[in-house]
Amino acid sequence: MPAKNHKQWLADPPLQPGEWVDSRVYSDPRIFEDELKNIFRRTWIPVCHESELPNLYDFRTTSIAREPIIVCRGPDNEVRAFLNVCAHRGMIIERRPSGSFLDGQPSGNPKRMTCMFHAWQYDLKGNCVYISREKEGYQDRLCKENVGLRRLRCEVKFGGFVWVSLNDNPIPLEEWCGKPFECLRKSLEAEPLEVFHYHKAIIPTNYKLWHDTNSEFYHDFMHYHNRVTGFNDAYFGRKNESFEHGHVVVGTFEVNYDKYEGFESRAALSFPYLPPNQWYMIDLFPGMNFNLRGSALRCDVVTPLAPDKVMIEFRGLGLKRDTEEERQTRVNHHNSIWGPFGRNLHEDLLGVTGQGATMLPGSEPRRILHGRRENQTIHDENGMRHYYSEWGKWMNRLPRDPAQPYLAPAAADAAE
Amino acid sequence: MTWKRVCKVTDVPENTVKKFTVDKVTLLIANYGGGFRAIPPLCPHMQEPLEESGVIANCALTCTKHLWSWDLSSLDMLGETERPLQSYEVKLENGDILALIDKELVYEFEDEDDIKDDDFFSKA
Repeated sequence: MPAKNHKQWLADPPLQPGEWVDSRVYSDPRIFEDELKNIFRRTWIPVCHESELPNLYDFRTTSIAREPIIVCRGPDNEVRAFLNVCAHRGMIIERRPSGSFLDGQPSGNPKRMTCMFHAWQYDLKGNCVYISREKEGYQDRLCKENVGLRRLRCEVKFGGFVWVSLNDNPIPLEEWCGKPFECLRKSLEAEPLEVFHYHKAIIPTNYKLWHDTNSEFYHDFMHYHNRVTGFNDAYFGRKNESFEHGHVVVGTFEVNYDKYEGFESRAALSFPYLPPNQWYMIDLFPGMNFNLRGSALRCDVVTPLAPDKVMIEFRGLGLKRDTEEERQTRVNHHNSIWGPFGRNLHEDLLGVTGQGATMLPGSEPRRILHGRRENQTIHDENGMRHYYSEWGKWMNRLPRDPAQPYLAPAAADAAE
Repeated sequence: MTWKRVCKVTDVPENTVKKFTVDKVTLLIANYGGGFRAIPPLCPHMQEPLEESGVIANCALTCTKHLWSWDLSSLDMLGETERPLQSYEVKLENGDILALIDKELVYEFEDEDDIKDDDFFSKA
């Protein structure tokens, strides 16, 4: 209870190892570089949704771990991903965030990706199809067959999300996160989904702090409306279930939306196979969140930009076959919780921005507690402990003392 | 010991709390459906004004700040609540709510002790 002097403030808390992390995991630039290399370049990232590339030759650009990426729908309707880098001099090929290759570009032709720098062209399968003045410059020393785009692992899965990996041989996607998706698989895959909301935010905080917030519900105390109308026994009974590879699923319960002030039941527009007004949440390592509240699906994807800077992309999805009226209702349901004037999103961002302000690169290391135990229900911090146990393995660092190597699983599990 | 008129029965709708001041004593009237309670205005936990933070549902008054809660029909403490709710006796007469106000009911809230600088900064 008493205030702490400096030495006391830096002491370990009276908790078990694994029940706190050192704040350097959120602030140290070297750790951040290791995360890009060891985690983000090796795992699967859901970079967008197939409905954002509805037509042949549509594309979207993005990045993973600073590598520019282009995702496009080829003439054969296949969605493919490539490094958005020309094989010639390393120019970025496509600068637009999204668009279509159906029309020709100033220095190129229709249905081709053209590097504007020297007019090298690629088809939507990544083959190089044109080198300007090829014979004159290279004679026969280099030809189109010798160059091409770097193709990346890309799969459309779990409700139409487009998953990309910079790793040619990652853990197979099904094995990576099939199990945590099992609870929603029928609901997400019964029929095509469609993105109806997209915005991104660049937040001055570490990407893991955003995922931490998505992984615990104890911060209900920040959400005024949750405190007033959300708490009940069923709510507290929801369990955080841990899955292999650092993923967590927050178990469902029936939300009484009609008890929320100004809200209505969502039963009429439930996703397929979802019992009325149920609420599931899937938190994937290393920082993606799928949040289905009855009638609207939200997906967060983080792109770490610096130890203290993250881009979060927020998508809202409904069913592709929605009538105009149904869609509007889903949009309302989505925005009433997660829109800029909704109940939760801005408050969540306030929380992680505040944490970011205390954990700048170079800030003195301190202990960040993850030690709540409440029978693995939603105010338990077991989801975060599970995450950091996985993080330690990928990073070969001990989360509570990141200068030390990761301990064998047996020792870490003993702390769990 | 005197019964004092606080308000009309109709002044406090079901499942609401309202604040009144009677002879310089501030109190809340809570209508929990099964009856009325007259209670001091602050939550005994952290001095939160209950007319703002208090919610009544299913006979229970809950302070939404940290979820201390009391059954208003029995005044039993619910959940993790650590202090009982004090209350004035009430009765209804001719459509009025009367409270038996002897002296103002107040909760004690303690302050932590302070430590002198040199003692504090040399602690191990």
